[in-house]
Amino acid sequence: MTEFIKSEIRPVFKATTFQHTSKSNNKKRAWKSLKQIISTERSLQWPENYVHYSSINAPPSFKPAEKFSDLSGLPAPYTDPQTRLRFANKEEYGTLIGLPMDITAGYLALRGASSIVG
Amino acid sequence: MEVLQFQDPKPVPDLIHCHGVDQHNAAIIIDNGSYQCRVGWLNQKEPLLTFRNVIAKPRKERSKKDIPESSVMPQLQVGNDITNIEAVRFQLKTQFDKNVVTHFEAQEHLFDYTFTHLGIDTEKCVTHPVVITEPFLNPNSSRQLMSELLFECYGVPSVAYGIDGVYSYHFAQPKSEDNGLIISLGYHTIHVIPVLNNKTSFVNTRRINTGGSHIISFLHRILQLKYPAHANAITLSRAEELLHTICAVAVDYKEELNRWTAPDYYEQNIKRIQLPYSTVTVTTLTVEQQKERKRELAKRLAEINARKREERLAEDEEKLNNLIAIQEMLEIDEDSDEIDQLLVDNQIRNVEDLHKNITALNVKIEKTKEKIATASNEDIVVDDIPIKQSKPNKMVFENEKAMHIYIQNAKKMRQEILNKKTARKQRRQDMAKRRTAAGQERMRIISQLARKEKGNDDFGLRDEDWDIYKTISREGGDSDSDTENEKLLELEELIRTHEPSEIDDTLKPGESHQLHIGIERYRAPELIFKPYMMGSPEAGLIEVIGYVLSLFSPEEQLLLAGNVVLTGGLANLPGLKERIETDLVSIRPFRSYSKVSVIASPSLAAWYGTRKWARSSEFKRSLVTRAQYNEYGSEYFKVHIASNMYVPTPKGHAMDVCD
Repeated sequence: MTEFIKSEIRPVFKATTFQHTSKSNNKKRAWKSLKQIISTERSLQWPENYVHYSSINAPPSFKPAEKFSDLSGLPAPYTDPQTRLRFANKEEYGTLIGLPMDITAGYLALRGASSIVG
Repeated sequence: MEVLQFQDPKPVPDLIHCHGVDQHNAAIIIDNGSYQCRVGWLNQKEPLLTFRNVIAKPRKERSKKDIPESSVMPQLQVGNDITNIEAVRFQLKTQFDKNVVTHFEAQEHLFDYTFTHLGIDTEKCVTHPVVITEPFLNPNSSRQLMSELLFECYGVPSVAYGIDGVYSYHFAQPKSEDNGLIISLGYHTIHVIPVLNNKTSFVNTRRINTGGSHIISFLHRILQLKYPAHANAITLSRAEELLHTICAVAVDYKEELNRWTAPDYYEQNIKRIQLPYSTVTVTTLTVEQQKERKRELAKRLAEINARKREERLAEDEEKLNNLIAIQEMLEIDEDSDEIDQLLVDNQIRNVEDLHKNITALNVKIEKTKEKIATASNEDIVVDDIPIKQSKPNKMVFENEKAMHIYIQNAKKMRQEILNKKTARKQRRQDMAKRRTAAGQERMRIISQLARKEKGNDDFGLRDEDWDIYKTISREGGDSDSDTENEKLLELEELIRTHEPSEIDDTLKPGESHQLHIGIERYRAPELIFKPYMMGSPEAGLIEVIGYVLSLFSPEEQLLLAGNVVLTGGLANLPGLKERIETDLVSIRPFRSYSKVSVIASPSLAAWYGTRKWARSSEFKRSLVTRAQYNEYGSEYFKVHIASNMYVPTPKGHAMDVCD
């Protein structure tokens, strides 16, 4: 498909024979994702002083995460045991119990708390 | 209260610029960001092109798979060609994976777009040096492929690489200091880069993998969840617009939240934003108008009938005249061939038949005439009928109070029915899903019913046994019955007649299509400081700044904290500088000096900086020429003040880019 489009509007300034080296062997092969690139990079024997992409990731947070209401964003002292949503006051609880499952699941997923283990 | 409107800005397709004589061999400056790409000439002060680094690749339709590809194939859309980004949202592709370019076929399309719009028309080469920005610690393989693309495909004479944030620090400020802490806020990542004696400290730099795109999608999602009915109208581009227009960073987030709990503050500071809506005109017809319409229809029908009758009358009269003429001819002269012929034409067998026909026709005409007469009288009657069925009469009450009580009662009953309906609806929804309590209870009962117990199965002996089927039916035993619906209508009618404002006009047009955005304005940008709000385990910006500072000696810390510079598009957020200032004070030793500044025009600073660098003497020395590319390999580049460090990929374990 891309070949087709290219052949139609190939700009004049481009070399006619260029092929991406990583594509030339096998057309079907997708590009390496950043994850793959990083893992290849990490596996190599680098000189002592070298810093690579994955070594500058931010450290994990050492502060306890504050709890905020999923619905309003207000500080949330309570958690609903059924839906596991956090809420700030009884009005919010009133709306919370009326929420359909997909919405509650959406809130949990947004907070990254949708896994069964966590 | 002011209601804001979505602007839904549409990108304007870029012009294809002319390739002027003054650009002769001038360098092309490309700030290749994961959000936008800015491109311009060395000898022009402003970037010529600014576009989203995206392409929309139309997919081949499955049904048309067998048909050979023809010219109807939709074109690839690039950057600003995409006028409606929401329409092609699912076909969007970018060359970026996070902040690193990985997909070089997409990059090729974007370079095609770039160079075409710059007006380059030289045969099989781009005769300009290219300066292009790259991410902090760009993996060698990515740079290698970039060089390969630029040299082999576009035939550029020379290339230089640098880091966007570092370029803006050193070259986009009127006077850059030797020491500083760069906070580069990007679309996918935030970098905290310490610079000491004009040297970038790579080891102590940290990257937070949260950026503008996360804020946008977070805002998008919380609004969708808050307004599920408008989930489709709340698009990512609109969330982006909100981030650009009304979002801000709270200087003290806790306190900001506290303020919002007060209803007055909420009312005063809430932003109302109108989603597009179309008024439904059909339902606005009043009862009167509907009746009027009905009357008109009846009238028209009557007219049509009358016309038909008249036509029939005229026809019959003509026929009668004919027959009478034949009769007269018969009286004059019997048995002529002419008369026989006439009789055959009128389908009459004999003279008796003729007489019979004449009398029949006479009766028919008489009847039609009668009908016409009655119909014209009816016209008046038709007008009267609908009036009879107008509104139910207003009930007469002894006093105001009695009426009030009566209406309250009616309202209560109405509410009860509505409650029942919603409860039923909720139940139905719960039943349909598996993991709800109601659904599980249902499954339990079903499995109990299915259990075979030989001998002592007495199910059905009592009539109540059968009720169990009611509880497990999805409808929950009782559905919205017609009588209930009728009752509801009746009650609503009643309330309407006595208190017309109660049900009608509760909403102004479009009010249900308004988004109320309060805390969300601060909640979404707060992600920069609290990535855990979207489940990321990484530390927030202030914590990372503190961590990076802790890697230096106290003297160095003082130098860095004394010159914190914010750059990148997110630095435009109101309040960000103040927030970092106050938080920085809280993590620094008592009374130690710290200063935070935002670079001028943070989104374009990287481009300006890159351009300024390219005008310096260092630029010429930092270019990798085609010859050097051929000699040192594709990952070779020259180190300069704003570049990454060059460490060739270890030999022996040479990275194989093919797999």
